[in-house]
Amino acid sequence: MMNRFNHLPTLKIDTSEKIPFTYKGKQYYGTKGDTVATALYANGVRIYARSLKYHRPRGLYSMDGECSNTMMEINGVPNVRTETTLLKPGMVIKEQNVKGSAENDLMGFIDKMDWAMPAGFYYDTMHKPARIWPVAMKQIRKAAGIGKLSPDHHMPGRYDEIFPTCDVCVIGGGPAGMTAALAAAEKGLRVILMEVRPWLGGQFDYRTAEYANRQTCHDRAVQLAKEVEKTDNIRVFTHTANVGAYNNNLITGFQVGTEKDSFTERYIEIRANSVVVATGCIERPLLFENNERPGVMQAGCALRLANTYGMLPGKTGVFSIGHDLGLEAAVALHDLGMTIPMIADIREDGQDPALLKAVTDRKITLLKGWVATEAHGRKQVKKVTLKSLDGTAEKTFDCDVLVASAGFTPLTGPLVVNQAKLKYDAHTNFFLPTDLPKKMHAAGRLLGYENAESIEASGQLAGLKAAYDCENCSIADLGEAKKIMESVPGPARGTKLVMAPVKGRKTFICFDEDTSIKNVKQSIDKGFDVPELIKRFSGAGLGPGQAGIPGHNLPLFTAKYQALPDIKIRPTTVRPPLVPTLIATYAGTNHTMLKRTPIDDLQRKDGGIFRNIGVWQRARYFSKDFTSRKEIENVRDRIANLLGPLGQPTHIEKVGRVVCVGGGIGVAPLHPIAKGMKQAGNEVVTIIGARSRELVILEDEMTAIADRCICCTDDGSYGRKALVTEPLKELCIIPGMTTGIFSGKPHGCHGGDQPVPGPNARKVTEKVVNIDVSNEAFGFSECKEFKVADTIPVKAMRLGCG
Amino acid sequence: MFFKSKPMWGKKTKLKSSYDVVLIGGGLHSLATAYYLAKEHGITDVAIIEKNYIGYGGAGRNTAIVRANQRTQYNVPLYKEALDLWPVLTKELDYNLMFNNCGNLNLMHSEAAMNAARMNIATAQFHGVESHLIDAKEAKELVPALNISEDITFPIHGAMFHPPGGVVRHDAVVWGLAKGAAKMGVEIHQQTEATGISTKNGKVTAVVTDKGIINTKQVLISAGGYSASLIHGFLGIKLPISVLTIQAMVTQPLKPILDHVVSSGAYHCYANQTLKGEIATGAHMDQWPNYTTLNTAHYIKHQAEALSEFLPALRGVRFMRIWGGLADMTPDMAPIMDGNEQVEGFFMDCGWGYFGFKSCSAVGRHMASFMATNTCPDILKPFALKRYQEHRLMGETAALVNYTPDN
Repeated sequence: MMNRFNHLPTLKIDTSEKIPFTYKGKQYYGTKGDTVATALYANGVRIYARSLKYHRPRGLYSMDGECSNTMMEINGVPNVRTETTLLKPGMVIKEQNVKGSAENDLMGFIDKMDWAMPAGFYYDTMHKPARIWPVAMKQIRKAAGIGKLSPDHHMPGRYDEIFPTCDVCVIGGGPAGMTAALAAAEKGLRVILMEVRPWLGGQFDYRTAEYANRQTCHDRAVQLAKEVEKTDNIRVFTHTANVGAYNNNLITGFQVGTEKDSFTERYIEIRANSVVVATGCIERPLLFENNERPGVMQAGCALRLANTYGMLPGKTGVFSIGHDLGLEAAVALHDLGMTIPMIADIREDGQDPALLKAVTDRKITLLKGWVATEAHGRKQVKKVTLKSLDGTAEKTFDCDVLVASAGFTPLTGPLVVNQAKLKYDAHTNFFLPTDLPKKMHAAGRLLGYENAESIEASGQLAGLKAAYDCENCSIADLGEAKKIMESVPGPARGTKLVMAPVKGRKTFICFDEDTSIKNVKQSIDKGFDVPELIKRFSGAGLGPGQAGIPGHNLPLFTAKYQALPDIKIRPTTVRPPLVPTLIATYAGTNHTMLKRTPIDDLQRKDGGIFRNIGVWQRARYFSKDFTSRKEIENVRDRIANLLGPLGQPTHIEKVGRVVCVGGGIGVAPLHPIAKGMKQAGNEVVTIIGARSRELVILEDEMTAIADRCICCTDDGSYGRKALVTEPLKELCIIPGMTTGIFSGKPHGCHGGDQPVPGPNARKVTEKVVNIDVSNEAFGFSECKEFKVADTIPVKAMRLGCG
Repeated sequence: MFFKSKPMWGKKTKLKSSYDVVLIGGGLHSLATAYYLAKEHGITDVAIIEKNYIGYGGAGRNTAIVRANQRTQYNVPLYKEALDLWPVLTKELDYNLMFNNCGNLNLMHSEAAMNAARMNIATAQFHGVESHLIDAKEAKELVPALNISEDITFPIHGAMFHPPGGVVRHDAVVWGLAKGAAKMGVEIHQQTEATGISTKNGKVTAVVTDKGIINTKQVLISAGGYSASLIHGFLGIKLPISVLTIQAMVTQPLKPILDHVVSSGAYHCYANQTLKGEIATGAHMDQWPNYTTLNTAHYIKHQAEALSEFLPALRGVRFMRIWGGLADMTPDMAPIMDGNEQVEGFFMDCGWGYFGFKSCSAVGRHMASFMATNTCPDILKPFALKRYQEHRLMGETAALVNYTPDN
């Protein structure tokens, strides 16, 4: 196991505490604060998985779980993103989708078969002759899928759910998000701040570059986090991924519990008045041959390995980058002891002069207008070829790490799923959000700001805009914040380069689905010429990483390949959940919220088999014979329990035509009413309803007395499948038809009541009540209040007329 | 390279000023109609007009389940024919539609539901469609992940097992039919919006699009969820259709765990595993008419709660993506197929709700025959719009899942 730094201020690990875990059956140790991925990296693991289609070796790439490269099985749960999962003692970790091991995968040869597998090849093969398809299909099913889950898998852990409300919800706990939260909180508003990492700070947290007044970005992050934490009206949810944003600012997410929490994960659904999205950026992958070979990683990933997790990504690192963060990472890693033979910067100019000086001071060679074109090494990077952008000059370097990053991609997910549109912006080379939904604001790096001051100023402005939405901020304050925003540097210029000058046979635009540039070209040539179609045909962006890797590269490349004059093409639609979320977490407590009747206990004692009926849990059967024949006979001949509505005796007179509507046992009191109405000389239509066929009662009786009897059931097992109100509506639209409607539905006493039906009903009732229930004393349809067994107060109504 | 990449549905051509037949909507019903018009009737001067791209609507948003276990005698033969066509089409189109003939399992959660299933099965068997009633234990043998214990909200009493059903790769059907139709000369015009239909003396004369006017004597509107509003907008014909957003979702891919399509009316949920290994699941429809195709927060949660109960192993999988599409629902949950009735030369094929995918091949074939011969095939006759006037509704509502405000 490699030695870890323990002196850096940015570290999140505690090297004094070792955490044991099992990987492929062997015991290893990580350090407190490690993620599963960093613990494995520290133990020398470089190949984490094999890819879905070609079984190419895959390794640590982004650190934020944007692709399936580092998904593993942990404690029997498949597809766990090890980059974002904290290591816990005793974890049992296994590789997925390999025959053999990730290092030596017997299926590795498939990588050489790519010529036989162009985009959509499966549609053109395996169906001739037809009989081979079922066989081929079985093999496809076996080969596809990543993780394994047994049919009797039991998900360990406790899952919870909460539904907080707030005035302002800030998504993203980086510098912009924290500033926004503070600005809104200062106006006296209740703020919720969600951050996906286990700590606040965002990109500032792992950066030691200078911020202002000799303060580092990291120090500034710590300072802001302290302020946030001591502000009472900000509720912070760390290690909480935002997964959805819906109409009227309903924000959903899930939080991963710590050792101190009572839950493993919990679903969070926030109703906010106003929302600030400050989710920042991920890096836009650089496209070149073997751009996903283990050892190739993004600048933030390399920097965080060192600054957050205390280890160098490798001995020798070549950089091929397109932004200042890349230069900053090179300088920082050099200072920590990594050999950096070369930085290839895509940009010809525009670099931060201070960083250029730092690079020169350290005697690192910087080639402007150069880019990596190929990573060499069968399983891990051993060598890299760099070329000038026009492809004329070429150099190769030995290295074990290649830091590659073309630019940034804004994380606009929460805005887009809530219906914001994306529009291409040539300056930043971003697809920037426009038409933001009401009371939703964007701030920080996702708008293209890279300057630290600009990031905070945009956070301040967004926080105040949100406060203004809540009517807690004056126009003057807003104007002030806008003025500050105008005085700081605007969005940084983004690099335009999409792909190094290569053909792209092994240049992967989507890692999860193994979609190469060549596959995308094939798709476009076949007529799938917009990202949405390329996605469906080639699979790019359909994998577990939720299109994090192909995200903006796919539309940029599509536009370029077709030589479209202006980029009208958009990235593929982003869908919730923005981060893959466990079904267990979504289900949360999985409460079934059911009411119980007053005699629930008694019925249970009597061996009642309960079912959920509407919002009630009621005894549905009293024997294993679900046809309930005996029970039904018992009601007919003797007694069972039932119920009835409240109300006054029905006024019966001749009115013309009458519709009598009843449902369930409500049909019972309806029968004498309908009969009375008919006798009074009315034309009577009865509509009777029940949940299902076997619950329809009195149909024959109704048919006998009424001019017409319409029967409905909820499940359609008898008569019409409809609510009783449906035929009623139809009858009502026939003019002159309806002159009176009587409902047998027990108003306001649904479910909690107990019916007492059967010929012996009165005999039973007499024994348990303290009033006279004789035919004379308790009239039909009368309602009385009294006590049962001298203890239970009830309101009762007489339904039967016998 | 085995396969040279050529445009699958022909090079992009300019819209002509006249066609024999214009089909509005680039979904499966249009594509299938075009394919059979060309193949069985030799009518190839056909244009498909699609506002977005082919398969943008329901064709690309459904969860690809196919089956023929509907309830009424009019519907079952149509779906049976469609079911039988998948292997035939695979061969004809020389395009692998990836029919996974895994069978469908409809869970029943009460004795009443079992009785309803008995009736469905009788109908199916009468029409020569294989369908059986099985008990909970047999269901668990077929789907070992099923929870048949008593202590869930809706304990499983049994299931209706329908072996001929399964899953077809929906996108492949879109592309295969487009390829087949284009090969015979049908033109597919994507990014072209139909904005009106011109009529004269009660006859169709032209279709107006944003790329110009097309003279034609025959036009079909089968634009999925948008059909009803187009038909009303273009010709003033009001249809008894409400359009609702229906949602579906997939999990991350897994090695095989579900070998059959499983659905439950009581839980309002169905689940099947795609060939890629994702568990595709859905069923919920918004209870308010809308064209948004937006997702709702509570539905994905509901789905997780339902799966947690009857397929509890899936608690260990992650949802990856949820999306919405449109379902154009009629009062009797059966489609409207009609032609030459309201306006001569005008045909419609809509109101498919969430059954449009399953039926597309057979319906395309019959609609093509209808349009080519101007005679309505017997099998389509019960689906005419008139049935609402004559109060001859289909009673298909009692099929598997119902949608009333008390769900």
